[in-house]
Amino acid sequence: MNCRHRSRVGALFAMVCVWSAGFSGSWAADASREQPVDFARDILPILASNCFACHGPDAEQRAADLRLDTEEAATEHAIVRGDAAASELIKRIESTDDDLRMPPPEMERQLTAEQVALLRRWIDQGAPWARHWAFVPPAMPVVPDSEGTAWPRSAIDHFVWARLNTEGLEPSEPASRGEWLRRVSFDLTGLPPTPAELAAFAADVSSDAFEKQVDRLLASPHYGERMAADWLDIARFADTNGYQNDFNRSMWPWRDWVISAFNANMPADQFLLEQLAGDLLPEPTQEQLIATGFNRNHRMVTEGGSIDEEWRVENVVDRVETTSTAFLGLTMGCARCHDHKYDPVSRRDFYQFFAFFNNVDEQGVYNERRGNVPPMISLPTPEQTEQLAVLDRSLAEVSARLAAATSASEAKAAEAEARDENAEASEAVLEADDAPQAQLAELKAEAEALTTQRNELNAAIQTTMIMKDRGEVRPTYLLHRGQYDQPEESETLSPQIPVSLGELGEAVPKNRLGLARWLVDSANPLTARVMVNRIWQQMFGQGLVATADNFGVQGDPPSHPDLLDWLAVRFVESGWDVKALQREIALSATYRQTGAVVPALRDRDPSNRLLARGPRRRLSAEMIRDNALAVSGLLAGRIGGPSVKPYQPDGLWDELAGGASGGPYVLSEGDDLYRRSLYTFRKRTVSHPTLATFDAPSWEICQAKRGTTNTPLQSLALLNDTTYAEAAAHLAERMQDEAGSDLREQLRLGFELATSRQPAEAEQAALARSYQHYAAYYGEHPDDAIALLAHGGSPIPEDQRTPELAALTAVATVLLNLDETVSR
Amino acid sequence: MTHDRTAAAFPANRRTFLGRSGLSLGSLAMASLAGRSTHAATASSGLAGLPHFAPRAKRVIYLFQSGAPSQFESFDHKPKLAELHETELPDSVRMGQRLTGMTSGQSSFPVARSKFAFTQHGSGGTWISELFPHIAAQADELCVVRSMHTEAINHDPAVTFFQTGSQLAGRPSMGAWIAYGLGSLNDNLPSFLVMVSRGTGRAAGQPLYDRLWGSGPLPSRYQGVKLRAAAEPILYLANPAGCPPQIRRQMLDDLRGLNQHALERLHDPEIATRIEQYELAFRMQSAVPELVDLADEPEHVLDMYGPDVHKPGTYARNCLLARRLAERDVRFIQLYHMGWDQHDNLPDHMSKQAKDVDQPTAGLIADLKQRGLLDDTLIIWGGEFGRTVYCQGTLTNETYGRDHHPRCFSIFMAGGGIQGGRTYGTTDDYGYNIVDQPVHVNDLHATVLHCMGIDHKRLTVPFQGLDLRLSGVEERRVVSEILA
Repeated sequence: MNCRHRSRVGALFAMVCVWSAGFSGSWAADASREQPVDFARDILPILASNCFACHGPDAEQRAADLRLDTEEAATEHAIVRGDAAASELIKRIESTDDDLRMPPPEMERQLTAEQVALLRRWIDQGAPWARHWAFVPPAMPVVPDSEGTAWPRSAIDHFVWARLNTEGLEPSEPASRGEWLRRVSFDLTGLPPTPAELAAFAADVSSDAFEKQVDRLLASPHYGERMAADWLDIARFADTNGYQNDFNRSMWPWRDWVISAFNANMPADQFLLEQLAGDLLPEPTQEQLIATGFNRNHRMVTEGGSIDEEWRVENVVDRVETTSTAFLGLTMGCARCHDHKYDPVSRRDFYQFFAFFNNVDEQGVYNERRGNVPPMISLPTPEQTEQLAVLDRSLAEVSARLAAATSASEAKAAEAEARDENAEASEAVLEADDAPQAQLAELKAEAEALTTQRNELNAAIQTTMIMKDRGEVRPTYLLHRGQYDQPEESETLSPQIPVSLGELGEAVPKNRLGLARWLVDSANPLTARVMVNRIWQQMFGQGLVATADNFGVQGDPPSHPDLLDWLAVRFVESGWDVKALQREIALSATYRQTGAVVPALRDRDPSNRLLARGPRRRLSAEMIRDNALAVSGLLAGRIGGPSVKPYQPDGLWDELAGGASGGPYVLSEGDDLYRRSLYTFRKRTVSHPTLATFDAPSWEICQAKRGTTNTPLQSLALLNDTTYAEAAAHLAERMQDEAGSDLREQLRLGFELATSRQPAEAEQAALARSYQHYAAYYGEHPDDAIALLAHGGSPIPEDQRTPELAALTAVATVLLNLDETVSR
Repeated sequence: MTHDRTAAAFPANRRTFLGRSGLSLGSLAMASLAGRSTHAATASSGLAGLPHFAPRAKRVIYLFQSGAPSQFESFDHKPKLAELHETELPDSVRMGQRLTGMTSGQSSFPVARSKFAFTQHGSGGTWISELFPHIAAQADELCVVRSMHTEAINHDPAVTFFQTGSQLAGRPSMGAWIAYGLGSLNDNLPSFLVMVSRGTGRAAGQPLYDRLWGSGPLPSRYQGVKLRAAAEPILYLANPAGCPPQIRRQMLDDLRGLNQHALERLHDPEIATRIEQYELAFRMQSAVPELVDLADEPEHVLDMYGPDVHKPGTYARNCLLARRLAERDVRFIQLYHMGWDQHDNLPDHMSKQAKDVDQPTAGLIADLKQRGLLDDTLIIWGGEFGRTVYCQGTLTNETYGRDHHPRCFSIFMAGGGIQGGRTYGTTDDYGYNIVDQPVHVNDLHATVLHCMGIDHKRLTVPFQGLDLRLSGVEERRVVSEILA
C-alpha cells in the first residue's frame, strides 16, 4: 500500500471519483464569489488527498514540522486568514520552481486550477475551519420544501427532489407494480414474487396496497435470511478457519442467531451490543453469549510451527479492523504501523482500541486442532440435555454401587487377612470371595460403558465459539511497526476510544461493554450513519456514502448529506428500528421510480448518484441461485441449521488442499441440495465456484460492499452448471403442469416466473419460434431429450422425458439466463 | 404480428447483431483461435496511460515452487560448508533470528552441507547443483538471484506475500494487477490463467488457496482462472448432456434477441456487456479445448519437456500448456508446483522434486526461445522463502532436513528483458545472511512490473483508505542491474 502517494486511480474507482469530483466542481462553478466555501465538503478533501501524507496526523512522516490537519497549526504561518496571496500554502502550490512547488513533483500530484481557486477563495473568506463532516454528530436537518410537485411521498423524497431540482433534473416515471414488487421482494427477502403475489398486488385497489406488500415481506421468515446475507460479509462468517490447514469450524448457531435477530426486528443498538459484549452483560443468556461469536468469526491459524503470540495479535487486529469498519466506517487498520495519514487515528488510538479485544481467553495457535476452540459453549438440544441427565444419574448410581462394592470387598479382604492368621479357615474364604469380585468387574464395565456413552454424547453436542475475557488482564503495549515481537513495554495502555472521537467517561466500564455503549450512544457521530447507509446500499445498490466501509476523510462524501443525517437521526429516535427504516425507503417515491433509464440521463449520471431513476442492478450471488431454485419449484425453504454442500464440480477441494483439510467435498442429500445459498458451506481457501463467480467474497476479512461484475465465467456457470440444468428442467415441468396444455400459456408462465412480468407480444412470438426450433431437434434426437432431463439429484421421471419437455427445458434455459432474470 | 416485423424487432440475425455490438466477424470465428495476433486489435485495453514506458516483456510465466526449495541444494553454492559440516551454527551468524515452532525446541543447530555437488555452467560460470542438469544447460538464459529475502516465516503468509505483495489475504495478486493495468491481448481467453501440479517429493504438500490468484478490491474479471487437469479444463466449460453445440448456439441467439430487446427498452449498458460476455463464453468453449488439445505438437517438441508431459496435471504438461498460452498472448501464466517443503529426508525428496521440474522448465525455456517468444516472455522460477543451513532433526547424510529460512534464498529469472548468464547477490559462508545486493520480495514485484512497462509506484487503487500497490508500503526499487 502506498501511504504517501495518492496518484492516479484505476478505472474501477475512476468513475466514482470523477463523479464526486464532478460534484465539487459543479458546486464550485455554481457558487458565486461571495458564496461561502464549505470547508468540510470542499477544502478538507483537497488538503487530505494532497497534503496530509507529509503534513498530516502522522508525526513520523511529517515534513518541515508543518501540520495542515489542525486549525491551530495550519494558521500559524502557512495560511494567513483573509489573504490568500500572502499565504505560504498558496505560494508554494502556485510556485513554478520545482524545488519549492507543493505537492513536490515526485509525488505525481497536481492540484487542478479549480482546486487552487477554491483554496484561494476559502482563505480570502477567512479560512473558516470545521471538522470532517462524519465526526460531527448528525443534527435533525430541516426537510426541504418541495413546492409545486406532488411527487414526494416521504421526507426522503423531499431531499432527493431538492437535489434534482438544483441539478435541473426530474425524477423518472414510477415503476410498474410488477417491477416494484420484484425489486422490493428481492431487497427484503432475497426471493422473487410468485405469480399469485403479483396478481394479487395488481388487483389490489386499496389505498394501502403498497404498504400491505411491504409489511407482508417484512414479516416473512425469509426476511432474516436476506438481511443475514449482508451481515455475514461484514462479520466474515465462514465454516472453516482459513489459512493453511483451513480446518472446519462450526459457527452456524451464530449465523442462526443473526437470522432470528433480524426476523424479530431486534433494535440495531441491541444487535450491536450483544455481538460486541453480550458476555459482559449481567447474567447473560445463552443467546447473548452466542451473539458474541461475531468477534470469533475471524480466521485462525492451526499450522504446525506457527508462533502463538504472532497469530494471537493477528486475531486481535482483525477484531479491531472488523469492529471499526462495521460500526464506525473507519479504516483503523492503517494505524497499526503508523499514525493514520488522513484520519485522526493515531497509533496510540489503535492500540488503545486493540486493548478492548486483547484480553480474550484464547491461544493464538491451536496447533493442528480441528473444530471449534475455546472459549466456547455447548448447545445441547433438549433431548441431549435429557439424555445427559439420564446418563449422569445412571453413572452416579453405578459409581455409588461400585464404591459400596469396593469397600465391601476391601472389608472382606481385611477380614480374610485377619482370619489368615487362622490357617484352617483360609480355604473356605477364598472360595466365597469369587462372587463379589465378579460383581465388581461387572460394575466397572458398566461405569466405563456409561462414561463412553457420555463422551460420545458430549462430542455430538453442538458448540459455538464465544467471547470471554481472562481474569488477569493481559497488558497492552504499542507494537513497533505493528510487530508482535516488538512491544514498547515502557507504557501499558488501557482500553479507550480514539481520542478525536471523545473519551469513555468515568462511569463507563473500560471494556467491550463500555465500547458498545459508546457506539450506540445517540451522540456518536458515526454508528447510526454507517448503519442507515448500509441499509440504503442494500436497497439502492450503493450508499449515500458510496464508500460504505470508509466514512473518513478519504471516503466518498455523501451524495445527499442532509438525507443521510435525517435518516440517521430518525433511526435513533425510532429506537434503532431497522424494519421501520426499510419500510420508509421501500415506500418512498425515490425507490418507486422505474429502473429504465433514458440515454441522456444515463450519460449525465451513469452511476445514479442523483437518484433520478430507480435502482436497477444484478442480483447477488446468493439471489441468482435462490431465484432459479424458487422459480423452478426446487427451493427448500427450511431456515437455519448446519451448512450444506450443493453441487460443485468434482475434485475442487482435492486439487488445492489435497483433501488434507477436512476430506473431500461430500455432496448433500435430499432437500439439502436445494437450500438457500446462505447455507452453502463456506470453505475459505476454496470458494464455492458459482458464489465466487458472482462476486461473493471469500469471507477472509470484513467486507462492507461487494463488487458487481459481468464475466464470461458467469455465462458459463448459468448455462452449464448442474444447478441450472436441473432448474431449467423443473421450470419446464412447472410450465407444463401449471399452464395446462396450451403452449402459448406455458411460455407466458415461464417468462413471468423468470422476470416477474408478462412478455410483450414480440417476446411471446420469439419464445414460440425458439420452442419450435428445439422441439424439432429433440423430436429427432430423443436420446438428447432424455439426457437433458436427467440432470441433478431430482431428475425428471423417465416416462416423462419427452421431446416436448426437453424443448421447454431449452426455452427455460434461455429464460434463466436473461439479463432481466438475474436482475431486479 | 408478422414474421417480418418480429425479425425487425429482434435482431437475431447475426450480421445485424455484429454490426450493433461492434464485434468483428473475425472475433466470432471459431476456426482462427490459435493465431496470437489475430485478435490483438479487438482485445480489451488496459488503463489509460499504460504502459508507462516501453515494456521489455509482453507476458509473464511464473513457475512458483510452493513449499520453498532449498537454496543449498539448488543455486547457492557454499563450499565452506564441507568443513563446517556438523559444527554448531554460531550465534554471531544467527543474530537472534526467530525460529519456527518446529525447530525452536531444538537444543542444537548443526550445520548441514549439501549432499549434492555443484559445477559451473554457461558463459557466466553460473553455479548450479547436479540436481538440475537440464536447467544448467540453459544457464546462458538465466539470471540467478541468490539474495532474495522475505518477511514471512510460514508458508501461507509467505506465499501470499509473493503473490499479492502483502502477507495478509485480500490483496490483488500479481497477475490480477497486470491484467488490470495492461488489459488483454486475446479475445478468446482470460488474461490471467493458473495451473497447479503436485510434486512427487512430499506426499502431503502444502495446500494452495484460490485467493492466491484473487483480484482483491480490483474488479473480479481480473482474477486468475484456474485451468484444471480434469476433463473440463475451465469450470462449467462443457455444455450439459443433451445440449449439443447447435442447440447451444440457437439458445445463445435466442437469448441475445431477448436481451437486445431488454437493452432497447431499459438502456442499461450492463445488458450490452452481458450480451458480449455470453459471446466470449461461447468462444472460450472452442478456444480452451483447442488450447489443451496437443494433437498438433510434434514428438520432438513433446520430448523437450520430458516423459511426464504425456500425463495431464503434471508440471511438465503445465509447462507445455504455458508455452501454448504464451503463444496465444495470455498476459500472466501462473504455475504452482507443490511439495518443496523438505523438513526431513531432503536428499530423497528434493531429488524427486528436482526431477519433476528440471527438464520441463528447461524445455519451456528452450521451446520459447526457438519460437522467438523468449525475448518478450518473462520467466520467474522460485519459492516463498529459503531453508536453514542447520539441520532440522537428526543430522545424517541421507535423511537430513532443513527448516524455513526467510533471510536469504535463491530464485532465477529468464527472458523478457533479463540478462542471461548472470548471478546476482551474495550470501555469507553459511548461506544464512545476505552479504551483498539484497532483493526484497517487493523489489521483485517492482522489477516484474517494470519489465511489463509499469511504474510500480503509479499502479495503485484506493483500498481501506489508502492507495494499494503491489510493491507495498515501503520504498522499493527496480533491480535494474539485472535488466538487459
